[in-house]
Amino acid sequence: MKSLSLLPGPSHSLPARMLWVVTTCGLATLLAWPWRELLDPANTAMLYVLAVAIVAARAGKGAAIASALLGSALLDFFFIYPHFTFTIGDAQHIVTLGVMLAVAFIIGNLTVGLQREREAALERERQSRALYQLASQLAGALSLEQVDELTRGFLQETQACHGLLLMRQGEEVSPLSNEQPTLSGKPYYAAQSALRLGAVQATLDEPVQWLFLPLHGSTYTRGVLALSASGNDLLNSERRPLFDAIAALLAASVERLHFVEVAQRAQLQMTDERLRSSILSALSHDIRTPLTVLYGMADTLAQAELPKALHEMADAMRQQTLRLNSMVSNLLDMAKLRAGDIRLNLEWQPVEEVIGASIKLLGQALAQHPVSVTLPTEMPLLRFDAVLMERVLCNLLENAAKYAAPGSPIRIAARTDKKFAHISVCNDGSQFPPDRLESLFELFERGDTESNVPGVGLGLAICRSIVTAHGGSIQADNDDGACVTFTLPLGDPPVIEPEDDHE
Amino acid sequence: MSEPTVLLIEDEVQIRRLVRTALEEEGYRVLECGTLKEGLAQLHTAAIQLLILDLGLPDGDGIAFIRELRTQFPLPVLVLSARSAEGEKIRALDAGADDYLTKPYSTGELLARMRAQLRRAPQEGATAETQFRFGDIEVDLAQRSVTRRGEALRLTPIEYRLLCAMLAEPGKVLTYRHLLSAVWGKAFIESNHYLRIYVSHLRQKLEDDPAQPEHFLTETGVGYRFQP
Repeated sequence: MKSLSLLPGPSHSLPARMLWVVTTCGLATLLAWPWRELLDPANTAMLYVLAVAIVAARAGKGAAIASALLGSALLDFFFIYPHFTFTIGDAQHIVTLGVMLAVAFIIGNLTVGLQREREAALERERQSRALYQLASQLAGALSLEQVDELTRGFLQETQACHGLLLMRQGEEVSPLSNEQPTLSGKPYYAAQSALRLGAVQATLDEPVQWLFLPLHGSTYTRGVLALSASGNDLLNSERRPLFDAIAALLAASVERLHFVEVAQRAQLQMTDERLRSSILSALSHDIRTPLTVLYGMADTLAQAELPKALHEMADAMRQQTLRLNSMVSNLLDMAKLRAGDIRLNLEWQPVEEVIGASIKLLGQALAQHPVSVTLPTEMPLLRFDAVLMERVLCNLLENAAKYAAPGSPIRIAARTDKKFAHISVCNDGSQFPPDRLESLFELFERGDTESNVPGVGLGLAICRSIVTAHGGSIQADNDDGACVTFTLPLGDPPVIEPEDDHE
Repeated sequence: MSEPTVLLIEDEVQIRRLVRTALEEEGYRVLECGTLKEGLAQLHTAAIQLLILDLGLPDGDGIAFIRELRTQFPLPVLVLSARSAEGEKIRALDAGADDYLTKPYSTGELLARMRAQLRRAPQEGATAETQFRFGDIEVDLAQRSVTRRGEALRLTPIEYRLLCAMLAEPGKVLTYRHLLSAVWGKAFIESNHYLRIYVSHLRQKLEDDPAQPEHFLTETGVGYRFQP
């Protein structure tokens, strides 16, 4: 009786249907009984046919057949001579009975067909209404999580299956949140191939059936909708159009959210960058202007004919302004480096050039210290950003000069090994605290916290940021005076064709 | 020689006052203004020998201003700019500026640069010098000879061309781009490492201490300057 169970008629249960059969046939019998002398059994049969039609409409096909059989029996028993027996006296009544059975059968079938179609139409309408509702809910969804939740709820309610939204992460798919169970085994591979091939995949992982529908975006497959259910025929081809429609809806929502996010991120980044660079440049301009004035005034005073004490004061003012300026530069550079604003302008160049430029730039600050530069004769070209490397060397030289006794030399040396060039700046002065060799390069660290040598310890931190950005490293040691050594990767310098010496 | 007239375009009144005092003390005549518009008007009305231009002016793009000015006035232009703005300096030099100073600059440095520019200026159009002397080195362009204390030095053709390009404009900052196109041709404008290698060759041959040069100076991130 499986087909019956598919029929959601007005009365579903077996006893109810039996009641319909018995009551209707009984009524027909009762109605016909007083007129049994007047009516021909063929006409009485019409009453039973009516009864069968009513039962068919109300209680379905099985009941219609049952009532046809019961009606025939009752007709034979009560109205066909000899009465109160199932014997049929007149052969023509066999025709009456036969026709009645056939008519009942056909009507039953027709009614049931109609009903089934009506049911199907109703079901389709219900589905499209539900889909419409899902679509309008998805249109209002603001996050992937919300989309996932709505879809899951919809599938659970209307399709009695479990839905799971899997999003693309590189070449893999994974659930949105970590709370969701991750797939493994057969379902996992089916999900991956749905993503890779962009085609529907099905698999059976006893007792659960899985169906994976790819979510096609405009440029690539954005994810996979996984449906799973046990004891529920997911693979039935009649359900596919609905599933496809759901997948299409989901894909549209996911795509929409993706582009909303892209647009928002772009806008945010733009505002962010504009704000940051305008703050930095305003800061840089606003601090530099008074510094320039101060420096110029101190410089003018220092040039003028003044009593010795005043002259020294003017000179000190000038020095301090320069220090302040270098601190501001360090701070701004650090801010830019931290914000990832600095794009390295990497070029192959001889390292001695930037060493020379740094020594020249520091000028007066190194006046008290003879600087020696020792480079291997065949020093290869290195690839670095000259401006930033000058900053590193200036900071290291300044640092070396700051902590060295006046008149003591500063040594710059370079050597290479297989992979790196090592460049060191050393003085003969005070040692770095041995227990803090590493933390020297942390922000706002200084060798001696109680020292009255100026500087905020920003210099070494910047050196490390710059050197790291170049793919090198930086260390301090006390092996031969206080030394800071940094490395730069050697790489493959471009070959310069040797020049023909004759014109 | 009558005192040269200098035009200072700078929007900070304090800096203007400071520079004016320093320059007037040295005997310059100083005109000053705070905007590019006024500056252009002054250039048209007065005979000016040197322009000092701050690049960060509020009323327009200083680099476009230099480019426009170059079409009409041959005077030397000295640019004032903030540190870590190498791109801006290069653009200004390529647009036609002759030198730049990074803030904060010392008045002594400013005066030295101005003197160098003014020394250079009258030579333009005149017959070019053929003999140069710096440190122990003597260069005679007519003879194509380079000597150190009378002893001949051997330069390769490229080294010699590079030396000539740098000698031609002493005291001026020469951008990588300028030198590459002068020595190698336009096709090599992106090949900065060529230039760096050959400058280092020149230093090896002509400087007393190539690691701490005194004549072929590096303007980091911008170019080179020949200092006689």
